Amino acid sequence: MLKFDFFYLLEQIPKLVPYLDVTFLVLILTLFFGTILGFVLAGWKLGKSLILRKLAYTFTTAMRCTPSIVLLFLVYYGLPALASIFAFDLNDLSKIFFVVTAFSLSFGNVMSEIIRSSYLAVERGQYEAAVSVGLTRFDAFRRIILPQASVVALPNIINSILTLLKEGSLAYTIGLIDVMGKANLLIAMNYEAHALETLLALSFIYWSISIIIENANGLLEQKLSKGRTFIKTV
Amino acid sequence: MQTLDLHFMWEAFFIALSGAPITLLITVVALLISIPVGFFFSLVRLNGTPVLDQLCRIYISFVRGTPLIIQIFLIYNVMPILVERFLRSTHSTMSIFDVNPIWYAFLVFSLHTIAILTEVFRSALKTVQKSQLEAAHSVGLSTFAAYRRIIIPQALVTALPNLCNATTNLIKNTSLCYALSLREITLRAKVAANPGYNYIEAYIDIFLVYLIICSLVEYGFKKYEKRLKAYQCISA
Repeated sequence: MLKFDFFYLLEQIPKLVPYLDVTFLVLILTLFFGTILGFVLAGWKLGKSLILRKLAYTFTTAMRCTPSIVLLFLVYYGLPALASIFAFDLNDLSKIFFVVTAFSLSFGNVMSEIIRSSYLAVERGQYEAAVSVGLTRFDAFRRIILPQASVVALPNIINSILTLLKEGSLAYTIGLIDVMGKANLLIAMNYEAHALETLLALSFIYWSISIIIENANGLLEQKLSKGRTFIKTV
Repeated sequence: MQTLDLHFMWEAFFIALSGAPITLLITVVALLISIPVGFFFSLVRLNGTPVLDQLCRIYISFVRGTPLIIQIFLIYNVMPILVERFLRSTHSTMSIFDVNPIWYAFLVFSLHTIAILTEVFRSALKTVQKSQLEAAHSVGLSTFAAYRRIIIPQALVTALPNLCNATTNLIKNTSLCYALSLREITLRAKVAANPGYNYIEAYIDIFLVYLIICSLVEYGFKKYEKRLKAYQCISA
C-alpha cells in the first residue's frame, strides 16, 4: 500500500540542503570555463579562418547530438586514458574535475551559439559608427557591441544555466555527492523504504531554485530592456 | 597503456545499434501522445481558461524546473504502487513484475514532452496575428477549419526549429532509460562492455550511434522546413 509520510519529506529537506554547495560549485566552475570556451568557439565561428570555423561547427554538431550522460562517461573514462598516453596520472583527481570538464564542453558549445547569434543581432552599423568616431576595435566591441549583445543573449543564457543545473544532477552517476547523490545515498540507506518522499523533497529543492532563477531573469530583463530600441530584433 | 580494442568497438557498435529501435519507439510514441495534448494545453494557456490554465502552469513549471532523471525516478517509484492497487481492485492475475518497463518510459517521456511542446506551440501560435483568425471567420470558415487551414500552417513554420530541437533532445534523453533498466542503446553497449571493462570503446560507440540518429533527424527536419518555407512564399 502507498504509505506517504509527509513529515518524513520535511525531515529530508534539511538533510539535503547542505549538499547544495557541491551542486553550486560545479555550476559556477562550469559557467566560468564554459563561458571562456564559448567565447573562443564563437570567435572561431565568426572568424576568417576556414579550418577553425569548420572545426567549431563540427564540435557544435557533435555536442548537440551527444546525451550529457554519454559525454560525462566519455570524459570520465576517456580523459585518464588519454592522459596516460602522455604519462599523466589523472586517476586520483577529484570527481568534480571530470564533471566540470564534461559539462563545460557542452555548456561552452551552447554559449558559443548564444554569443554568435547575439553578436550578429547587433547591427553592423553600430560597430562602424563606433569606429568612425575614433574608438579602437576593442573599445567598440567592449562599449558598444557587448552591452547590446548581452541584452539579446541574457534570456538564452539564463535558460541554459537552468538546463545546466538540471543536467548537473547526472553527476551522481559517476559518484559525485551533490544534492542528487546525497538523495540517492539516503534512499539506499533506508533500503528504498522512503524513496518517494526523498525524491519529492529533492524535486522541491530543484524546483524552488529554478523558480528563483526564472523570476530573477524576468526582473533583469525588465531592467535591461531600456536599451531595446537600439537593437534589431530579427 | 592499452590502446583501443577496435575489434570490440566494431562488435559493440552493432550491439548499440540494435538498441536504436527501442529508442525510436519511445521517441515516436512520446511525440504522438504529446503533440495533440501539447497543442490542446497551449490553447488552454493562450485562452487563459480559468482553472486549467493555472494547473497547466504548475505542471509545466514542475517539469521544466526539475531534472528529468528525478522525474523518471518519481514515476518509477509511484507507478508500480498505483498499478498494483489497480490490479488488485480488478482481481487481475497479472503481477506488477510483468509490466514491461517500456510503459513507464512511454509515460515519463510523454509527460515530459507535453510540457516542452506546450511552450513551443504557445510561442508559435503567438506569432500568428489575431486578424488571421478574424479574416478566416469573416469568409465563413469555422474555428476548426480556420485553425487547420490558416493558423496551424503558419505557426508550424516558426515552430519547426523548436520542434526539431525538442525531438533531438527527446532522443538524447532516452539514454536515461537505463534508470528504468530498459535495454536501449546506452544500456546495451554498457552491458557489453562490462566483462572486458571496455567502457571507453562502448561509450564512443554510443556517441556514434546517437550522432547518426540525431543527424538524420535534423537533416529530415531541415528538408521539411525548406519545403514549408517554399510553400509559404508562394501562398504569400
